[in-house]
Amino acid sequence: MKQLPSIRQRLSRTLISFSVASGIAVSAVVWLVVQHEVDELLDNTLQESAEILFGLLSFNRERLPLQSGGSLPAPTHDERLVWQIVGPSKNVLLRSHRAPDQALVGRETRGFDSIGGNWRVFTMAFDSSGSLLHVAQRGDARREARLQAAGLAASAALLVGLLCAVWLGSRVEKELRPLSTLSDAVARFDPMDVHSMLSDVTRAELVPMREAINELGARLAKRLANERAFSAHAAHALRTPLAGLMTQLAIAQRESPPEVQPRLERAREAANRLRRVVTALLTLFRTGADVKWQSVDVAALVAQLPFDGLSVVTERPMPMTADPDLLAAAFLNLFDNSLRHGASVVNVTSVAEEDRMHIVVSDDGHGIPQNQFERLQAALQAQDYEGKMGLGLMLADLVARAHGGKLSLISSARGCTVDMVLQARPPDRQEMAVEVQAPPLNRA
Amino acid sequence: MRLLLLEDDILLGEGLRDFLRADGYQLDWCRCLGEAVALQEELYDVLLVDWQLPDGSGLDWVRSLRRHGNTTPVIVLTARDLLSDRIRGLDTGADDYLVKPFDPEELSARIRAVRRRASGSAGSRLIFGDVELDLTDRCAYVDGVRANLTAREWSLTEALALRAGRIVSKSDLDALVLGLDSEVSSNSLEVHVSGIRRKLGRNLIETLRGLGYRISK
Repeated sequence: MKQLPSIRQRLSRTLISFSVASGIAVSAVVWLVVQHEVDELLDNTLQESAEILFGLLSFNRERLPLQSGGSLPAPTHDERLVWQIVGPSKNVLLRSHRAPDQALVGRETRGFDSIGGNWRVFTMAFDSSGSLLHVAQRGDARREARLQAAGLAASAALLVGLLCAVWLGSRVEKELRPLSTLSDAVARFDPMDVHSMLSDVTRAELVPMREAINELGARLAKRLANERAFSAHAAHALRTPLAGLMTQLAIAQRESPPEVQPRLERAREAANRLRRVVTALLTLFRTGADVKWQSVDVAALVAQLPFDGLSVVTERPMPMTADPDLLAAAFLNLFDNSLRHGASVVNVTSVAEEDRMHIVVSDDGHGIPQNQFERLQAALQAQDYEGKMGLGLMLADLVARAHGGKLSLISSARGCTVDMVLQARPPDRQEMAVEVQAPPLNRA
Repeated sequence: MRLLLLEDDILLGEGLRDFLRADGYQLDWCRCLGEAVALQEELYDVLLVDWQLPDGSGLDWVRSLRRHGNTTPVIVLTARDLLSDRIRGLDTGADDYLVKPFDPEELSARIRAVRRRASGSAGSRLIFGDVELDLTDRCAYVDGVRANLTAREWSLTEALALRAGRIVSKSDLDALVLGLDSEVSSNSLEVHVSGIRRKLGRNLIETLRGLGYRISK
């Protein structure tokens, strides 16, 4: 059977993919936004620092050693912010102790400037003589701050995405569980049991499905009940007169003189055979009928059939495993067809072929016209009996199909030939019945 | 043995009536449920009941009989052969179930079997001292020698033997042996009993004045 896509797998795959992709996308956005915001925050800090420093230095300007180019005393520390006061001729007048002794910015610009990625500098005028105050941050320190902030935020976003994927997967599993519960309930559902109804479902989406299945079961049960009622009526209509016939024959045999006894005995045998055929027909048309597999010699079976006006030829014993009553019903209908189409002789042969048995019935009658032959063959193949053929072929085909085979027509120069293919043995050999000499007197 | 046949099909009903009467049974035949209900107070050995009747279900009638305490053995004759139908028939109160069409010989054998079981005997032979009754062959033996009973004498002996230990009134015996169509005079029963005593011995049938007859177990 072709592997069908699974709703659970498809849904899980979609949700997990979406969650992971969302996590990655959100992480990327967070990465960019956080970097930008941190950069902006650092710039603000740089500018605020410069302005504070400007205030402090301007307030003490007279006491500053501006001509030395040196630095103010400071405790030993890792300086994150450096500053320079640069004269109009670009010479460094004063600086913090970690600041370079060359001017950080060569241009006469104000505001922010990046120097080769090594420094981020904020420049502002220091005094009216044209001196400038540069306040700068190291580029690597800024990158480190940006990376740490953005990395942590993006990792958190990605982790949330992954956790969502896992959670959604488990939700999918949980939400689909009522579906498998319903499947189990449907597997146990017996529409023929009037007390059997599918129990309540736990999801609104499954209510229409449950109701549809219950309704289908009710329709099926009603149809089967109607078929059973019809079958009971048909059985009554067929079997009761037959029972009367058998009883009358029994009385006639009891009361008749000895010379009539053999004839009446044959009539009783024929009635008995007819009883079995009627039983077989009713069994065949009854829903759920089982084939009663037995060892049977088709040649002997055919010889017992009560059929006048037709010479039936069988070449040799034809042992096989089949339901003798169903086979008898099929043969009687095929022989009746032959007789009605001008045949006087019917040949019955069999051919074994691996796990199949062919029973070929050929007659010397008028045969079937070519156009009708093809139509019948197609109808048999498709089991499209309605209006296409009579009871005989249809019943023989049904018998063959009940045995795991089928009926087909064989083109022949004269008369009509049908090939009834049967499965050589029952599906489960354990069910095979022991060999019996004759079908049982009464199935009941 | 007295039977009631409830069967609407004329061909089958006539056939069974003739066949079973020829077998020595006393048989009344009803063709509808109404006729059978009118006869349900009569004494019968076995009831043969068709399931599907023009005016109702034979099985419903059997259920009604059982509900009213009637324990007469019932054989259901029907065309319904489904396992569920057979189970339903037997669970309703039938003692046996025979699917149409059937061989009348088989029905006759089943009638004898259910009647035997109803009288508490498993075998087809009943023994009362030196008298032995073969219910299948309808023969009586005294010390192993076959006694030549008439059909009426046999029927009377069989009716009492199947109710061994119980007193059977004259009217019941009349019904069981002679049936509804009887126009025999009231003292004919004594004549038959006398004949039986002559052939099977004086001690087999006990007369209880004003009550009836009995064969002791």
